[in-house]
Amino acid sequence: MDKKLKIIGKSTSKLDGNDRVSGRSVYGHDIELPNMLYAKILRSKYTCAKIKYIDCSKALALEGVEYILTAKNLDVNMIGYKRDHPILKGETVNCQRDEIAAVAATSREIAAKAVSLIKVEYEEIKGIYDPFEALKTEARKINLNGQGEEKFGNKNIAESFEYSHGELKSMKKLSKVIVSRRYQFPRVTHCCMGTSNITADYSIIDGKLTLYSSTQVPFLYQRDMAHALKMEPSKIRIIQPIIGGGFGSKLDMLPFEPICALLSIKTGKPVQLLYSREEEFIASPTRQAMVIDLTSGVDEKGKFTFREVQITMDNGAYTSWGATTPFVMMQAYSSLYQIAACKFQADAVYTNNPNAGSFRGYGNPQATFSIERNIDLMAEELGLGKDEIRLLNANFPGEITGQGLLFKTCGAKPALLKVIEESNYKMKNREKQSGRYRRGVGLASMLHVGGGAKIYRSDGCGTRLKLDHYGFLTIITGSSEIGQGSETVLAMIACEELGIPLTHIKVINSDTDVKPWDVGVHASRTSFVAGNSLLGAISIIKQKLNSKAAQLMGCKNSDFVYENGFIKACEKEVKIDKVVREMHFGNPNKLCVAEYFFEPTSSFQDKDFKGDVSGNYAFASQVAEVEVDTYTGKVNVINMYVSQDVGRVLNPMGLQGQIEGGLATGLGYALTEEMIYEDGYLTNPSFHEYKLLTAMDMPEVHFYPIETMDEAGPYGSKGAGEAPLIPTAAAIANAVSNALGVEFLSVPLTPEKVLKALSEKNNHKTANSQIL
Amino acid sequence: MNFEIESPLNKEELLKTLSNLQSKKFRFGAGFTDLLIEFKKFNPVETTVINLAQLKDEEFCSIRNDSGEIQIGSLVKLAQICKDTYIKDNFPVLHQAANALASGQIREVATVGGNICQASPSGDLSCALVSLKANCEILNIDGKIRNQAISEFFKGPGKTSLQKNEILKSISIPINHSKNLKSGYIKIGKRSAMECSIVSLAYHFQLEKNGKVKHAGIAIGAVGPTIIFCQETVDFLLKQNINNIDEVLKLKIASMIQNASSPIDDARASAWYRHQVLYNVAKSLFE
Ligand SMILES: Cc1cc2nc3c(=O)[nH]c(=O)nc-3n(C[C@H](O)[C@H](O)[C@H](O)COP(=O)(O)OP(=O)(O)OC[C@H]3O[C@@H](n4cnc5c(N)ncnc54)[C@H](O)[C@@H]3O)c2cc1C
Repeated sequence: MDKKLKIIGKSTSKLDGNDRVSGRSVYGHDIELPNMLYAKILRSKYTCAKIKYIDCSKALALEGVEYILTAKNLDVNMIGYKRDHPILKGETVNCQRDEIAAVAATSREIAAKAVSLIKVEYEEIKGIYDPFEALKTEARKINLNGQGEEKFGNKNIAESFEYSHGELKSMKKLSKVIVSRRYQFPRVTHCCMGTSNITADYSIIDGKLTLYSSTQVPFLYQRDMAHALKMEPSKIRIIQPIIGGGFGSKLDMLPFEPICALLSIKTGKPVQLLYSREEEFIASPTRQAMVIDLTSGVDEKGKFTFREVQITMDNGAYTSWGATTPFVMMQAYSSLYQIAACKFQADAVYTNNPNAGSFRGYGNPQATFSIERNIDLMAEELGLGKDEIRLLNANFPGEITGQGLLFKTCGAKPALLKVIEESNYKMKNREKQSGRYRRGVGLASMLHVGGGAKIYRSDGCGTRLKLDHYGFLTIITGSSEIGQGSETVLAMIACEELGIPLTHIKVINSDTDVKPWDVGVHASRTSFVAGNSLLGAISIIKQKLNSKAAQLMGCKNSDFVYENGFIKACEKEVKIDKVVREMHFGNPNKLCVAEYFFEPTSSFQDKDFKGDVSGNYAFASQVAEVEVDTYTGKVNVINMYVSQDVGRVLNPMGLQGQIEGGLATGLGYALTEEMIYEDGYLTNPSFHEYKLLTAMDMPEVHFYPIETMDEAGPYGSKGAGEAPLIPTAAAIANAVSNALGVEFLSVPLTPEKVLKALSEKNNHKTANSQIL
Repeated sequence: MNFEIESPLNKEELLKTLSNLQSKKFRFGAGFTDLLIEFKKFNPVETTVINLAQLKDEEFCSIRNDSGEIQIGSLVKLAQICKDTYIKDNFPVLHQAANALASGQIREVATVGGNICQASPSGDLSCALVSLKANCEILNIDGKIRNQAISEFFKGPGKTSLQKNEILKSISIPINHSKNLKSGYIKIGKRSAMECSIVSLAYHFQLEKNGKVKHAGIAIGAVGPTIIFCQETVDFLLKQNINNIDEVLKLKIASMIQNASSPIDDARASAWYRHQVLYNVAKSLFE
């Protein structure tokens, strides 16, 4: 690893950057196929009701309407992680987004008009919107396809996780301070700039279905789609146009996708379905809303003793991958800092709210918030520095955690030390604040998988390489690009290894008929897994090139150097394209291609969730410095100090983008973003009322990468995509508490919430002083 | 959404279009930043839009400064207000309000007239104009001008005194009598841009050399059905010297401003919050 690198570690613009900013990129919304129809979905009027009848006759009579799909006469399977979600609802509706009918018409306007002409009669039922209500014995069974009763002893539990390690009882006894708090988290959503979209093109001639889809998991999607439609998977081809943002929202296949496919199958014509922004808010996934009851302890020396946590997640009406977020959360509870004992229980509970999904961070922002708030409270009560207590308990290299995670490399302590020093945390944390504007600092850390996560039977990725007669390299990778910049990193790796300039490298990653298998883009895994896979393929292609080059240059067993389009050895050189041509036209008469499949060494966890689930682990710490206006309650984040163990920096510019983008999401989660529901109806489905922060709200970002050179990752790197948003809300809440001396048990910390907390504190004070 | 569109190019064409449409349903559109949102929500039926964006007319489109007042055409864009140095120096309240509105992109198209005629209780520019006691210059189809004080022009949320045969041509603001100013705009929202005011406070005080308040205007937004001119507070302030406002007076003034408000709960904030914050920022006026 000490060889000098030419391009790895140097800021490199995104390969598709110019196309993106000049408008050349083709998004799903830009696709136009001959004779294409436009689809629109009729969604439920009620969040909980029986459907008495659906009358499409008026809509069908409208000129330009080609087909209307309802649950009637549909021979399909249910979808979703638990297969509890009917594609179209024919008997009952369970949430605001429920799909009742879908129209395909010759224009968007006609489709919209037709939807308005469909008559549905409902019998409204009182819905259940609070998971704790849903858990009561007298509650109605919400999802009739749920198997909670059989599996988890409660009809409204969709999924449940239990985990424990260590001696909880004795660790409780050992504790000097024990802190218990209940934390609450709302639904927030991804706000992808490109709304959900799909174009389906079914051929009645050969029965093949082509889907232009922005899925993050094309091969799982192909399988899910085939299952839903009762088709052969291989007859389904997924093409991923440029994706206008994923952030986890495209991990699940949602009903609109098979609906669009079915409309194409029924009409024999291409059909396109695009969400409006309002529909995107109403009917695309959200982060899990949840209530976390966390009790944690610390002994008199400041060593953490135990964590005991009970999580109740609002699953919504159907179950998505999001129900498996406890899988990630339990890693935080069991292994973020050294923890002797941990008991974890999480239930995803059906309600008549929209179904949640997966979102960058995957439960970890919520878990980290609770852990890091409790740590501040314990430190205060124990009289120990909030930085000291964290350093004392920080994870360390070589640690095998109670859950069995092995930290071969670990930048936890260096990251903590870095942000503590750079932010001047010690000094600022102690400054007494008064006056209108009060400053505070808050510290929080996180642990996340850094080398993929084995949650499916394979966590691998395939690569094919093709070096052409002119020295251009095509990388065909199973992995997907959703804007995170992995495509660019792959090209950089090939450039580094083969000495081929970036301009001569193409990355093909958007067609399941062409690309080899990959599990998908999630878990911060792509650069790690696809990078390793590419390195494997490169080593195979190099063997072929080396042997031909050796022959051409008349030298053996030499160190071959790849540089500027040449292969160099024994003081001679030969152009790489010449080697390719000689391989083809001369002996061995072969094309210069290679194929490799990389499967990380991580293991599938056992039924108790123990095991080393990832190829490596990422650590990060952040310090937020805030200024709170005590007149308005507005929190102004001035500085964010971010230090993250990324293993090694591959593309500094790309990494900075991930850090800043992640922070923007974390800041919104901390301060303003919230989907507000009334009886299951979203009341703020627009950017006007859903307060996504703007560029004007961004603080100064001070980023300090920690390079631990983990040998599992390409050049020592680790996954980095999710980490930057995970501890942000926790750090900000800690900072606001530090500034004001009040506690917050939920996000977002809106001006109103902050002002209310302040005024309660003041009332309390005056009340107390009156007593005195 | 479907509508007819007429785009008059000059004042004559405008008045003609307006006369022709008297028996029909029509709407003016200037920057369209409010109108299109409304149309999206409530699909327009058999409506003609009189598109003002192509109208070339000095009185509608420019900022003029003569005869003891400053006149701002209704089609002047917010960005023009932001760039105008005379306004910046003499009417900081107006400059700051324009700058606080939406975002750079929106300000390039949104107009002064649109903000006023939208008659939103949270309209930023409108709030500043109320504190400046601006006068609305309203043109009718006969080419006649009707003048009306802006606080009387507003009749309720989304309602103005504008008749069907009228259009807002421009507004005028009396020039300052003193160079000694205390003027500014305070906007409270959750984020730093693209934000509708949860509470706003506009103030413009002209002072004598010794600090005595000579002329004053205070307006509060988003805390009642229309933007409110705080007459009682202004009357009180006119007897004061700005340098002598002590802690007790400061709180008294803040209470007076707060008492002028009648906020409600809505999705953006509770009445409690609005009430509280108004008091707090009013306090800050004299800190
Ligand atoms: C993203 C976004 C953010 C926003 N943020 C803010 C904000 O921070 N603060 C704020 O105050 N506003 C805000 N607005 C609202 C809007 O931008 C302003 O009210 C703007 O000034 C309206 O001007 P316009 O020219 O676009 O009006 P239009 O939409 O063209 O018209 C608005 C109304 O006025 C009528 N009208 C227009 N001109 C005339 C005229 N000359 N005579 C008679 N009637 C007329 C129209 O018929 C219509 O009813 C925002 C809007 C958007 C879309």
